[in-house]
Amino acid sequence: MLVELRNLRKHFTLGGGLSFRRGTVFAVDGVSFGIAAGETFALVGESGCGKTTIAKMVLMLERPSSGAVHFGGIDLQAMSGAETRSYRRQVQAVFQDPFASLNPRLRVKTIIAEPILTQERVERAVLRRRIEELLDIVGLPAGAADLFPHEFSGGQRQRIAIARALAPNPRFIVLDEPISALDVSIRAQILNLLADIQQRFGLTYLVIAHDLALVEHFSDRVGVMYLGNLVESGPTAEVFAQPRHPYTQALLASVLRPDPDHRPRVDAIRGEIASAMSPPSGCKFHPRCPHALEHCAVEAPAWRDLGGGCAAACHLLETSHAQSA
Amino acid sequence: MQQTVPAQAQPLLRVENLQTHLYLRRGVLKAVDGVSLAVGTGETLGLVGESGCGKTMTCLSILRLLPKQSGRIVEGQVWLDGIDLTRLPEQEMARQWRGRRVAMVTQDPMTSLNPVFTVGDQVGAPLRAHGLASGARGVRDAAVKVLRHVRIPSAETRLDDYPHQFSGGMRQRVVSAMALACQPRLLILDEPTSNLDVTIQVQMIELFRELQNDSGLGIILITHDLGVAAAICHRVAVMYAGRIVEVGDVRTIYRRAAHPYTRALLDSIPHLGVRRERLASIGGQPPSLIDPPSGCRFAPRCAHRTAQCEREYPPEIQLAPHHTVACWHPLHEQA
Repeated sequence: MLVELRNLRKHFTLGGGLSFRRGTVFAVDGVSFGIAAGETFALVGESGCGKTTIAKMVLMLERPSSGAVHFGGIDLQAMSGAETRSYRRQVQAVFQDPFASLNPRLRVKTIIAEPILTQERVERAVLRRRIEELLDIVGLPAGAADLFPHEFSGGQRQRIAIARALAPNPRFIVLDEPISALDVSIRAQILNLLADIQQRFGLTYLVIAHDLALVEHFSDRVGVMYLGNLVESGPTAEVFAQPRHPYTQALLASVLRPDPDHRPRVDAIRGEIASAMSPPSGCKFHPRCPHALEHCAVEAPAWRDLGGGCAAACHLLETSHAQSA
Repeated sequence: MQQTVPAQAQPLLRVENLQTHLYLRRGVLKAVDGVSLAVGTGETLGLVGESGCGKTMTCLSILRLLPKQSGRIVEGQVWLDGIDLTRLPEQEMARQWRGRRVAMVTQDPMTSLNPVFTVGDQVGAPLRAHGLASGARGVRDAAVKVLRHVRIPSAETRLDDYPHQFSGGMRQRVVSAMALACQPRLLILDEPTSNLDVTIQVQMIELFRELQNDSGLGIILITHDLGVAAAICHRVAVMYAGRIVEVGDVRTIYRRAAHPYTRALLDSIPHLGVRRERLASIGGQPPSLIDPPSGCRFAPRCAHRTAQCEREYPPEIQLAPHHTVACWHPLHEQA
């Protein structure tokens, strides 16, 4: 495993001063998974489930409250200064909104050069060549280097953001909703580009997304999150073909498909996601679960290996698994 | 000033050859460039297209809510219930039409609610403004009724809450309640579900469908999400660069799209349960509307273009009773 999350937790304390709301937000509440080199791992779930907080901890933008992120077998918290610098070179990110993620005052060449120059000293001509090469990889003309971000459309800006991420020759890229801010006709271009550069440079991806059709298309393995916990994970094809956790089933059933004869199921799930400040007892999903048992409100279900790389946390699987076995 | 439509089978709304220009420093932007459409009672028309294609400007023109300094309807009519809204004096538009007979739900429920007023105040405001309820008691009762209508639980107590105390889905319901307060005949929904989670999206779509069944509301749904359009629309109009390129009932559009742009849009999105190695992407970008190409506006990105496409804008062809397309080489003829 190139990247490994071990029982990762992040709690935020709110309150103090004049704040009306005090308490602790359990944003990420014990998440473990690994990402093998060269694969694409997707995290899905509703807003507020903790997927972006995980991305931030992986990018070392937040410190975990407990647990650890390992990269190439080394705990990020325990890294030496030199190791941290090397890690920051190897891990890059592409964010959702290319209108917010590019500094409007910098020319494209400065934006792309920045991550290179923080790592090493490069001769001017070499740097220029490298920038033009990167622009070519993402499908922009060399002349783009001298322009400012506002002179580009959303799709082109996202290409610039991708070029910047590729600049320091990373091994691992975190993609946080990489296409959801883009126009429909542009999305496929960017997705195909991301797939191409992954192959060409042997990149590993962690994708954060809420669009399940995109996740099915783009990822090798998927983790479904609910209120700070992973509820199910496995190879994407298996999880989408045969979702075992009622939450995954509900998510898939409620996707609006571009097919007028498909009726999404309204009854698949009730209500809305609970507050991460006062999560429900037992299984956090039980108040919305159509199959909840009495037991579900009492005890949190254990993480269960279901074979074939699939795993889920649900009490129902104990009985149904026993039956099918 | 009021004019009536000549006697014929009358849809609720009929927009004819609407042209809306935005006068910018860079030049005149032809945001809407000859759009005609119709919406019947109890019908949902989807207006599908990319950002900047003119779908929101079309709807703002219907409501006459264009930016005061820069926006103007330069041609065309908007017939609602037999009245041409483009010719009404602003005062009459404000008092009797906007918010009363035609209402709009804007995209972002976070920004369309005022954070310093209670939800009850805000839902009550249109009722008071249009004289449908009066007195503190009367407005309050009417507001409770409207909130119940959009299925907000314990409406009586939630009336005194502020927008921040509501979740995203509930806030979208509140915004819908404001639009529905005066029981309009036509409701315009601008990307009503784009910021919501999938599970909440389904609930909102279901709500709009129920409301429509109850009251015969005509709906225009603006969206770029082909999944949302498929779930709720009866008919779909696809817009590209200020013009409607294809209209048809929802099944025709999704099953037998005739315009290469419609087809390309459908092919470029991942479909759940259909695994493909690569998505068919549309190269290039939409043209500038300040100086649009003289021929078909999709031609530069179209795989089927010919010299004719680049020279002349294609005429509208009727392929079936409810299916028209503006294309020199509609996909059916080739198939």
